[in-house]
Amino acid sequence: MPAVVEPIDEARGEAKPRKGWFFNPYVQLSISILFSAAAQICLKKGADKAVPGILLGIEGLRSGWTWLGIVAMVSSLFSWLYGLRFVALNIAYNLAGFVQVLVPIASWALLGEKIGPVRACGIVLVCAGVWVVARPLMHVKEEL
Amino acid sequence: MTPLAFLLVLISETCSAAGQVFFKHAVDGNPRCKAAKLTAGVAVMAIGFFLWIGLMSRFQLSYLYPFDGLNRIILMFAASIFLKEKMTIDLWVGVALICAGVLLVSGS
Repeated sequence: MPAVVEPIDEARGEAKPRKGWFFNPYVQLSISILFSAAAQICLKKGADKAVPGILLGIEGLRSGWTWLGIVAMVSSLFSWLYGLRFVALNIAYNLAGFVQVLVPIASWALLGEKIGPVRACGIVLVCAGVWVVARPLMHVKEEL
Repeated sequence: MTPLAFLLVLISETCSAAGQVFFKHAVDGNPRCKAAKLTAGVAVMAIGFFLWIGLMSRFQLSYLYPFDGLNRIILMFAASIFLKEKMTIDLWVGVALICAGVLLVSGS
């Protein structure tokens, strides 16, 4: 559930990013995507500590992993907003689609989840769909 | 996935989409009720967030996360209902791909 908030449009294109690789907008967007995927992994680890079967996972707040996940989500949001000041929205949305790839890979590598062929095909289709709608969606989001 | 769990996924994704719309309006809409919009945005996002954690405690992450693609579909339909935006061919292709993918994942 990546939080996506657009900055005010006029700011884009005028400002110059600060010098140094860390302030490169694409580096920041990549960091944002990595943090966003990491947040899901941390939240999952926290949620596993919560009592399953309840409606709201407020119990999860008792785990440090959940808080780490929240920190990762907020960091991801800041990097995203910084990146969007310099990079066109459609490019940013296309890049954001990588989260849909990263999360299942990380679930397999870090959480030891088994991904069967059916699920893998489903994930590929969702990714394709996310990329197809990236450009028109940017327009929709500007309007809403 | 049970119908109830799927309903919870839909509610969670709708909350997160609604939160984004509230934030957007708080940032560049009429500044008069900015605080109210921000509060509303935080409130619905928090509901969506905790529903998501609750779902996470029941499902594998690689199973649950693809359902996040529905977020984009909800935003598109919101735009077509509230703003009378036309659904383009691109959007329908994307909707079909995401739905097919989610269907496959839910059967896995």
